[in-house]
Amino acid sequence: MQRDLGSLPLAPALRARLVGAGFSTAQELLEVGPCELSKEIGISNEEALETLQVIRQECDSDAARMGGDPTSLRTCTALELLEQEQAQGFVVTFCSVLDDILGGGVQLTKITEICGAPGVGKTQLCMQLAVDVQIPECFGGLAGEAVYIDTEGSFMVERVADIATACVQHCQLIAEAHQEEDHHKALETFSLESILSHIYYFRCHDYTELLAQIYLLPDFLSEHSKVRLVAVDGIAFPFRHDFEDLSLRTRLLNGLAQQLISIANDHKLAVILTNQMTTRIGQSQSTLVPALGESWGHAATIRLILHWDNNQRLATLYKSPSQKESTVPYCITPHGFRDVQPPPPSQTPEGSEMNPRKRPRIEEDKQ
Amino acid sequence: MATTMLLLPPGGWLHSSRHSTAAAVGGFGGRGCHHHHGPPALRSEGACLHGVQPPVSCALPPWARGRAMVMLQAGLCPGLTAEMIQLLKASGIRTVVDLISSDLEEVAQKCSLSYKALVAVRRVLLAQFSAFPINGVHLYEELKSSMAILSTGNKSLDTLLDSGLYTGEVMELMGAPGSGKTQVCLSIAASVSHSLKQNVLFIDSTGGFTASRLLQLVQFRTEEEEEQVEALQRIQVAHVFDIYKMLAALQELRHCMSQQVVCSGGPVKLLVVDSVSAVVCPLFGGRQSEGLALMMQLARELKTLAREFGLATVPTGIKVELDIGGYGALEERPVFMSAVVFSSKTNPIELVYYVGVLL
Repeated sequence: MQRDLGSLPLAPALRARLVGAGFSTAQELLEVGPCELSKEIGISNEEALETLQVIRQECDSDAARMGGDPTSLRTCTALELLEQEQAQGFVVTFCSVLDDILGGGVQLTKITEICGAPGVGKTQLCMQLAVDVQIPECFGGLAGEAVYIDTEGSFMVERVADIATACVQHCQLIAEAHQEEDHHKALETFSLESILSHIYYFRCHDYTELLAQIYLLPDFLSEHSKVRLVAVDGIAFPFRHDFEDLSLRTRLLNGLAQQLISIANDHKLAVILTNQMTTRIGQSQSTLVPALGESWGHAATIRLILHWDNNQRLATLYKSPSQKESTVPYCITPHGFRDVQPPPPSQTPEGSEMNPRKRPRIEEDKQ
Repeated sequence: MATTMLLLPPGGWLHSSRHSTAAAVGGFGGRGCHHHHGPPALRSEGACLHGVQPPVSCALPPWARGRAMVMLQAGLCPGLTAEMIQLLKASGIRTVVDLISSDLEEVAQKCSLSYKALVAVRRVLLAQFSAFPINGVHLYEELKSSMAILSTGNKSLDTLLDSGLYTGEVMELMGAPGSGKTQVCLSIAASVSHSLKQNVLFIDSTGGFTASRLLQLVQFRTEEEEEQVEALQRIQVAHVFDIYKMLAALQELRHCMSQQVVCSGGPVKLLVVDSVSAVVCPLFGGRQSEGLALMMQLARELKTLAREFGLATVPTGIKVELDIGGYGALEERPVFMSAVVFSSKTNPIELVYYVGVLL
C-alpha cells in the first residue's frame, strides 16, 4: 500500500534527509534494510532501525485494516452509529429541564464545555455529574466511574459527600416506591463510600502537568475500563496566566482538544470541561464571552453557558449538533443541582406579587 | 480549474464568484489563499487522465508511474543495469530527475560509461516519466462527459453554488463556532444519500456527527422507514482525530477507489470532511514549521481525490473573520480556497438569519 513519506509521523529533519536521498514512498523505504538506509542518509544504525520500525508499524496497521474487512477504512455506516447512539445512555444532571435541552443529559463520546462567570455553578455541576455517572443502570444511570482533573483547587470533598448522600437517598426513595429486586441489589453496592472511592482525582498545578495528565490518560483508562466521565475543572486557568507565546497556547489547546475527543471516542466516555468568561470590548458595548479565544470555541462539541439574570441562574445551550438553542433556569440546593421549584403559595403572604423566579430572601426548606 | 468562492462580508450580502482567477484572489490582499495549480499537480494529472495513458513499460512498477522523483533501480528501463546504477550513485546521481537534468558527457567521463547507452536510457526515462500534454478541446470534452453536479437539497444554496456541488471540485465551508457548518454538512450528506442515492463518505474529526440528527434530516425528506434505512446505510462514517490518521484514511480511500474495490454497493461520490482545521490547527504555532507542509499534503490529497475520481469534496474549516481588503483585523486565515463563509462579525441573531436564508 502506498504511503507518501510526508504522511508518516517522522521527525522533520529525518524526513528532509530521506526526501533528499530520493525516497518518496513508504514502500521504497521498506525494501531497503537498516544498514543500507543508514549509509544512504548518513544516520546511525539505531536511528535507521527505529525509523523502519515506525514505518512498518504504520503500514502493518493499514494492511490489517485493509485485509480485515471489506470496507477498509474502519468506517461504519450511519445506521450502525444510530443504533449505537440509541443504545448509549446519558449522564443525568438531576435538573430535568437541563436534561431536556441537552437531549437526555450529557452525551457520551462528545466534549461538553460549561462556561460561566465565577460563582454561577460550574464546579457544582461537575461534581454533580461525577456522582451521577455512578448511578446503577436499573435507576437509569451508567454505573460508571469518574475521573476528575482539578486545576483550580475548587474540589471540596465535603460537598461531594453531601451530593452523594442526596443521590443515594433519591435512589432509595425510588426503590421503595417500585419494590423491585434488582433495585435492592443495586442499592447494596451504591453507597457513599463506593461513590467516593470511584471518583479518581488528579490535581494539576500548571499547564505542563495538565497536558501530561491528559496525554497519559489513555493508559490509565485502559486499566480502569469502567470510567464513563472525565471532568477537567478549569481548563482555562493554567492557560490564561503566565503565557507569553499565544501561538504556542493555541497549538497546545488544539492538540489537547484533539486528544480529548480521541479519548472520548475510543473509550466511549463523556468529557466535561469548564471554562471561564472574558470580556470582549466592542465598538459601543462589551459582552461576556467564553475565554481562550475563538479557535477554542470549535474544540467543544456542545457548549453550555451559565449566567445570572437578577438572582436567577440560567443555563443556555449555545452550541450543539443535535439540539436547538434554548435557555432554562436551574438552582443549586444543599442536595446539589436541581430544578427550580416554584415557591408554594401558602407560605408567602404576598405570593401574587412575588416573581416566581426570584430566590426568596428568607431561607426556606425547599424539597 | 474553476474554484468556488462565496463570501459573506460583515455588511451582509452574499455573493458568489465562480471561475475566480488569480487576479481576483490577489485582490483580496493575497490573504493566504494557497494555490495548487503548479507543475506538480499537472504532472500527476498528466499520468492519470481518462483514456489517455502515457507509454508504459511493463518493467515499471505501477506505483512508480508518473513520479519522477523515483530512485534509479535496476529494471526501471531496459539498458539500466545494476552496475550502471552503482556507478551513477557514486557520482551523486540517485533519482531519475538527477539523471535527466545532468550533463551526459560529463557523467559518461566521470563514471566511465558509454555516452550512447546513457543517451538511450535518458530517452526512455523521459518518455516514461514526463507529463503528457493534453489538448484543451480534449480536456473540455472529458469534463463534459465525466463531471456531474450534485444538488445540495436546498434551493438557495444550490443557486449560490451555481446549481450544486460539482464533482471534481473542492468546496470549503468556513464559519464561527456554532454558525451551522456541521448542520450544513449533515444536510448535504442526507440529501445526496437520499435524493440522489449516491454513496457518501463522512470523515469526522470533531465528534460533531450525530446520527440521530442525521435521521431527523432524512425523516424530513421521506416518511417511509425503508428509504430512511437505505439512506443511512449509504453514508459511511470514519472517525479520525489527528493529521496522520486523516492522511492515511484519504490515501486508503484513493487506493480503494483506484482498485475499484466496491465498498458496499457503489463508489463514493461525495466526501465530507468535518473539519480539516481541527486536525491541522495543532500543528501551527510554536516554533515548528512542518505544519504548513502537512496542511499542503492534506490539500493535495483532497484535490487529487476530487480530480482523479470525480468526487465532490467538502472540507470545513474553522477560520473566522475573513478579511476582504480591509474590513478589520484578520486573526486567522482561510486554509484552502474558501467557498461558503458564515461571518462571525455580525450579531448572532443576524447570523441565524443568514443561516436561515441558506437552510
